[in-house]
Formats: sequence, structure tokens, C-alpha cells
Amino acid sequence: MADPAPVKATIFAYQVGFGDCFLLRFDYDDASRRHILIDFGTTGLPENVAADFMLGVAKDIAAKCTERDGDRLDIVVATHRHADHISGFATKNGAGSGDVIAGLKPTVVLQPWTEAPEAPVDWEGPAGGDPVKAFAARKASLEGMHAMAKQAEDYVAAAKNLPHGLASELAFIGGDNIANRSAIDNLQSMSKERLFLFHGCALDLSATLPGVKIDVLGPPTLAQTDSIKKQKSSDKDEFWQFALRRFSDAAGSGNGSLLFPDAPRVLRSRLLTEQRWLAHRIDDANAEMMLGLVRSLDSQMNNTSLILLMRAGSKTLLFPGDAQLENWQYALQSELAPLLDDVDLYKVGHHGSRNATPRSMWKRFRKKNRKKTADRLTSVMSTKHGKHGSDDKHTEVPRRTLVAELDENSNLHSTEQLAADLPYDKIEIALD
Amino acid sequence: MTEAPPTRKLTIVAKDPGLRLGGPDGPMAFTQVSLPAEILAKGPTGYRVKVVDYNATDRMAYLDQQDYQDAEGNLLDPFAPGEGEDLLDPAYQTRLLADPNFHAQNAYAITMRTLGAFERALGRRVGWSSGGHQLHVAPHAFAQPNAFYSEPDRALMFGYFRRDDGSPVFTSLSHDIVAHETTHALLDGLRTRYTEPSGPDQAAFHEGFADIIALLSIFSLKPVVAAAIGEDGAVEAGEEQITLVSAEKLTVQAIKESIFFGMAREVGDAMGSGERKALRRSVEITPELGREMRTSEDEHDRGEVIVAAMMTAFLKLWMRRIEQLGRFVKDTYNLASVVDEGARLAGQLLNLSIRALDYCPPTDMDFSQYLAALLTADRELVPEDELFYRSTIRAAFSAYGIETPVQGCDADGCWTRFPDAGRLTYARSNYAALTRDRNELFRFLWENREALGISERAYSEVLSIDPASRVGPDGIALHETVCQYVQRHDLFGSEFKVLLGAERPEGMETTDRYTAYGGGVVILDQYGQVKYHIANRIFDGSRQLARAQYLFETGQLDGGGGEDRLRFALCHLERMGG
Repeated sequence: MADPAPVKATIFAYQVGFGDCFLLRFDYDDASRRHILIDFGTTGLPENVAADFMLGVAKDIAAKCTERDGDRLDIVVATHRHADHISGFATKNGAGSGDVIAGLKPTVVLQPWTEAPEAPVDWEGPAGGDPVKAFAARKASLEGMHAMAKQAEDYVAAAKNLPHGLASELAFIGGDNIANRSAIDNLQSMSKERLFLFHGCALDLSATLPGVKIDVLGPPTLAQTDSIKKQKSSDKDEFWQFALRRFSDAAGSGNGSLLFPDAPRVLRSRLLTEQRWLAHRIDDANAEMMLGLVRSLDSQMNNTSLILLMRAGSKTLLFPGDAQLENWQYALQSELAPLLDDVDLYKVGHHGSRNATPRSMWKRFRKKNRKKTADRLTSVMSTKHGKHGSDDKHTEVPRRTLVAELDENSNLHSTEQLAADLPYDKIEIALD
Repeated sequence: MTEAPPTRKLTIVAKDPGLRLGGPDGPMAFTQVSLPAEILAKGPTGYRVKVVDYNATDRMAYLDQQDYQDAEGNLLDPFAPGEGEDLLDPAYQTRLLADPNFHAQNAYAITMRTLGAFERALGRRVGWSSGGHQLHVAPHAFAQPNAFYSEPDRALMFGYFRRDDGSPVFTSLSHDIVAHETTHALLDGLRTRYTEPSGPDQAAFHEGFADIIALLSIFSLKPVVAAAIGEDGAVEAGEEQITLVSAEKLTVQAIKESIFFGMAREVGDAMGSGERKALRRSVEITPELGREMRTSEDEHDRGEVIVAAMMTAFLKLWMRRIEQLGRFVKDTYNLASVVDEGARLAGQLLNLSIRALDYCPPTDMDFSQYLAALLTADRELVPEDELFYRSTIRAAFSAYGIETPVQGCDADGCWTRFPDAGRLTYARSNYAALTRDRNELFRFLWENREALGISERAYSEVLSIDPASRVGPDGIALHETVCQYVQRHDLFGSEFKVLLGAERPEGMETTDRYTAYGGGVVILDQYGQVKYHIANRIFDGSRQLARAQYLFETGQLDGGGGEDRLRFALCHLERMGG
């Protein structure tokens, strides 16, 4: 018997505030269905929702995946480990949103190679073409990153007088990068099979997801490109330890001893009048540099994002997680780049930030246009204003100019535009 | 009351605390330097520098406990060695290093010394780019391995960090770093447009130039240079003793190792991975590597190329001078003479490097133009190249892939003088006003716009008028006037070709906005006549195309710029892993 063929794709873009949660359903010509959950997390819930909001979303996902006999959750994709992509997978004594998802017993979990748990610290990623199932504790560096994120949060909580924008960005990025232990453990244990993917790896999911071809455009391995390596400096394993120490020192929480314990001094609250103008500014400069460190950590993590390109029937769907330019660069120069020409549905990268939709990628999309043709590009974005970046530095998320461009040249669906009582945006795409 | 002395002495750490005399366990190098005399307030706070010793990490400010003058107004050096001590005394050195007030004074002194170098070279007062009279200096600003000049904060902020064993490393104790960051504050004031997004050379110039100033200023600290070279015996000469040094220590390579490498770059070494070590690397750069880096996309790499070229020229000229010194037995030289020659030469090159700024166009400059400016500045002072400065500098830069501009230069590589200045209209300008008043000068430029090639469609503005005084070759004082003007033209990608005469860069959309800049320096001689007009004309297709291409590729087309606190940071974010 021939494999069934997919005839329709339905995307449920859940309104989770600042985060991503997409349930992708394929309907087949034999009336069967397959479900893929792509990310499930938030760092800024929508306004006026209950604390157990994410549990409700999980239950809705569960309902959709078990609506009919034979339905199930087939695949879970965790594009990268930021809280706004995986916090929903957190468990809570069997009653958390992550418990609900785990209860659906997905067949396979897809993650970037950087999440492989047992690889050596200086591992540069798989050299061959096969998806390798177990690697990685880049454990030391991950722990360093998480510890630094935690310190950033603590620093903002303790520090007074920081300019508001700076403090909130520091706290936000800190929170997003904090280890979400239970979510990570849950992703490790919820399925029988876990696949750690990288650019160009051979991925055969035909048994689970017949008729859908998935190409992995990112992340590249370090051996494939040094662009990720560059960010981390040459000392891969030590960099985040080193950065952590610097951050701790700057936050005054590391060494613990005063620089000049015996020097005659005045405390900050008692500064001489002639010292105050500059002292405030030195405080700001210090926080700004700490933010720089934390931002680089954030980008680093974004650039471990899976970029998945799915082809089903005549349509091409692109899910790039939060991949930023450095991750994209490799894909854009690779043999897989022409696949981007035919994209029909684009999940807008990184909630609409300016550096996650590279111009050279956007240019490839043939089906974007202003004429509203029948085959026009559809874009779907999950985002929430005012959580990330700032207007005056042109780093606001979503970036206004990008939203305008998306709106003008594609059928744009944004979770922010949804009415408050709608849990998700439903986008249907015929695959014939 | 006695007449006030013009200068005073203050004690500083020469180079940095990592420099040990006579081996790794030797004493640190402290020295006394001469500074303009002034009655200092607490801080210390003087007429150009205000030290605020606030530490953001420890959230406290250290109090200045020192007296910089006594009740009679006699100027004191509060950190001079006490009774029975000398500069090499270990206990004395340890005491100073443990005192935040000493760090504050050290930063004050080096900042003032660097300012002094600029004012001496240019023969006029030089302002900080931030606009105030007093530049703030924070010697222990935060526990971060970083230091920078921040224009919006009107401040130099110096961080500190800890080694693995917990011991602190202070950027404010590094002569190189303090001089480097002070240079940013001065260069940015002299050529404000060099921080605008332009080409890769301009972005690199700030860093390279600051390194050149920092490196050349070390050579005036003679005892330090002498100690770094080391001595090989002595001979009696009457009542005096002449310290000798063997010739084999005086080759280019040996000097590089003893003075540049031998001076431990404490901060760079302690910083470990991922950080900038520009001062170390630039003297290591071979001409082959330099030519490669010349086209590097990394602005810092590019910046190091002019440092390497300048240091090569310095070493060659110094070797030439040493060869002309008399030799002693066993192929040795008088160490003091060797060091004197080096100090004199470094001082001259320092002056020249700074004076060259007056001959650089105010926007979109590149290294070849700086080379022409160097050569021109030197020829103005010394018409005959008898000491081979110009030929040596030109050859050194050429070896590193930097040639003088194809257009606008004469056979010597100097800017050509303005041809027949007589055809300009001076009649409607008042000479005295022309050298002082920006409106008067603008009127002159506007009335002569055709002859000067200044576009009347672009918006033009006079940025500055500065006097430049120097002693001419005949010993008579010369007074010239240096004026900068800039032009801007706002256009869309679709107008690129029509207006600028070149295809728009690949990837630029017809609707992309682009601001083209141009501008020049007009140097008026002692009669108020145009002597030089050194310009980057706005309607120069190939230059605008190269600039636009660069801005497009580096994502700066829509401006960038703005008030950026960390623009001049010792460790830029991307170098910290960002």
C-alpha cells in the first residue's frame, strides 16, 4: 500500500504573549492526521490571564491531538532552549503544562545538536551526515551561561537607580536564559526517540510523518562554520566561565571583597555633590556593559535554533525558531538555499526582531508580493510588544519596519492582532 | 611671594606595573613627569581634568586625602619618595599601588601629559570633543576589563578586573591605555566626523592613531627606555661614568623585543582570551601580514597596520641615528645618547603625527590621505628632507600597502598646494574676520564655490577655524589658519547614479535613503590666502560608491552613529563575544 499523502496543513498559532507555540496538523488523503508541536514557551503572558494559562494551552493542544481515533502528538520540536520556546514543557508534580504534553507520548523529539546531553565540552558537532543521537554536555559552558543569566536577574532585583529601559532589558534577557531544568529534563524523557539535528543532516521521518520532507537548514556545526565559534572566542569551554566571572565581578557578587577595604571613602548614598553627576553615569555604563555580555549570551543561544524547512505536496513551510544572522549565513551560502525560493509559509524568526529575518533570505521568497495573488506568501508571527529591545535604538521587537514589510508583501498573521478571547490563530493551507 | 613656576612634577607608573626593571623580579618602573603647574582641588581636579573616584561595583567613592600644594602655594608631589626612599624602593612602590589616590593622580598626570603633547604639537589649545573644559576621569569605575572615553558622559572611565588569584589589575595604571583613551577624546574633538560611518579606514583610524600616540609617548620616559634596553658595562669619562650598551641590542628586532615586547602588557596579558591585544601585536606585524590586514574587514586589524608602519619608520630612523653616534670599545654605544636620540625622534614623530591631522580632510578619510598629511606636515616644517624622515615614512607605509593618494599629491607624496590662489575672490572678505568668524569664512567659501569645487546643491557648513602657529624654516614664527567645512546631500538609491555619477551599490534599493558627505580643509597662509585645499569632494562617484557599499555591507546605511557610550571602548562588545 502506498503511503498516505498530506493534503492540508493547519497551523494553530497559540497566543502565548512573548513566546512561540505552534501546533502543526497535516491531514492526509486517507483521512488520518499527524501533529507536530513546534515550541511551547512564553516569557511574557498576554494581559490579564490566569497563572495557569499555559496549562490551559497544553490541554487545548492535547485535545486537538486526541480529537479523533488514531490521532496523537507525533513530533515535538524544541528549536532552542530559551524560556520563551520551552517554558511550557516544564513539569510540576504531574500537573504542569509539560506533564500534559509528556502524557501525549510523542514519538520523536527534534532538537538542535547543541542540546545533545553527553558530548564533550569542546565538541564541534557531528562531522558525518547522520543525525547523531547523543552528544554534548557542553555542560560547563551551559551552566556558565545559565548562572550568568540568573545573576543578571538578581542584579536587577537588587540594584536601584538603573535606568528603567536598561533594567527591564537586563531582567528580561536574564529571565529568558535561565535554565529551565524541568522543561529540559522533560524534553529528554518524553519520547522514545530524540534526534539532534544540524545543517544538512539526513533526516528520515517517513514512518512518523509520511509524505513530508524536512530539510535542516540550521544550526550549522562548528566544524561547518566558524561563525558561531567566533562569538564564543577560541576558548570554547572556558568562555562562558570567564564571562560569568566577569559578570559576577561587575555585579559585585563574585569576589565579595572590596577593592580598597581600608581606603577612606563615602558610600553611594552619601556621595559628595561634585561626585554625583558622574557617579550615576558610571552606574549606567556598568549596567550597559553587563547588558552587552548578557545580550551576547542571548544571541548565542538564539543561534543554536533549528531551522526546519518542510515540503509537503506543493507547499513549503519554514520554521526558523529564533535563528539570527550568524546561523542563517551558513544556510544562505549552502546548496540548500534555493529551497527558500518556494516558501509558502514563513514563521517569522525571533518574534519579528530585525536581525532574525535577514534581507538576503527575505529576498529569496518568490511568492511575496503586494498583489495578493492566490499563491501569496503567508507569514505567521508570535510576539508581544514592549518586552524586548527599545524603540529609540531601533531594536524593538517586533521591529516596526519589518512588520510593515511583512504586512505589505504577505498575508500576515500575528498573535498580537488576535482578539483577546481567541486562544489561537488558525491558518489553513491546501497542499495540492 | 616667589614667581609661580610654569611646571610641576608628579610621580607616575611608567608603562604599567607589569614592567619590571632588570628581570621579572626587579622593581617596577616609577618616574616623575613634568606637567603644567596649577593649584589643584581635591580629586585631583584641575583646569582640564576632574577626577571622580567612584566605583560602581563597590558602590562607593574614595576620598582624596592628598595635598597637591602647601599653605604657601608651593606645588607638591604627594607621592614622591619619602625620606630615605627612592623610586625603586619595594615598600614605597607597594604603598603607592595600594593607594587609590595614587591611581587617581596617575590617571590625572597621564591625561594631562597627553593633552600637553597635542597642544605643543598644534601650537594652540585643544578642546575635549565632549565640549566641557574639564574631562572627568574615573580611575576605578567598575570591575570590568574595559576602559573608554565616553563623549556623552564627558568622561574617561577606567575599569579594573581580577586575576585568577583575586589580585586586581588596574587599567588606570597603564600608561598605554590612559594615553590611548585620552587620544580618542582629543581626536574626536579635532575631527568630529571621524566617528560617522564611512569607510573601513576611517573607522580604524581612531584606534590606530590612539595607539601611535600611546606608543610614541613612552619614549620620553628616558629612564624607562634605558632600563628596558639594559646596560653592558661602563667607562670612566673624567668624573662621570658613561653607561654602555652593546650594538647587538640595538637592531630593529632586538629593540622590538626589549622595549615593545619586554614591556609587559599587564592588562592584555591578564585579560586572557577573547580580548584585544593591539599594542602587542602591531609591532609584530610583518609587511606581508600588514598588506593582508590592510584589506581586512576587521577595523581593528586595519588600524594596527598604520601603527606597524609608523613604528617601523620610527625604528629605522632611530637605528640610522644610532649608527651615527660614536662607538666605544667592543662595539658599544653610550646608552644615554641612544636613549636621548630615541626620545628626541619619538617626540618629533609624535608632533608630526598630531600636526598631520590639520592636513586631513574632515570626512571619509583613508590611510593614504593620512600619509599625504604626514608628509605635508613635515615638509611645511622642514622643506629639505635631509634627515630622511619623509622618505623613510613613505617607504615604511608603502611596505605595508599604504601609498599616497593618486590624485592631489605631488611627486614627494605631499598634498599639492592650491594652484593660482590669485583667482579666488578675497575682496569681499575681511582677513581678520576670516581667521576667526565662521560666517565670514563661509561667505568666502560660498563666493568661491566654483573655483574651490564646492557643490552649491549640497548643504555646507564650516565646522571649525583654528590658528596654527609654528616656527618656519628661517626661524620666523608663521601663523596659518586651518578651517574645516563639510557638505551633505540626502538622496535615494534611485538618484545615486544621476547625482553621484556611479552605479548604486549592489543590494541598495531605489528607495533606500543615503546621505553623501564631502568636505575639506582650507589652510590660509599668513596673508589669508588659500595655501592648501585638501578635500573629499561630495560628487565623487567612486568614493561615494565605495563608502555606500561599505555602509550597506556593514548594516550602517540607515545611520548607526548616535550617542554611543562604548564607541571608544578598549574592549568592544564584539570582541567580548557579543
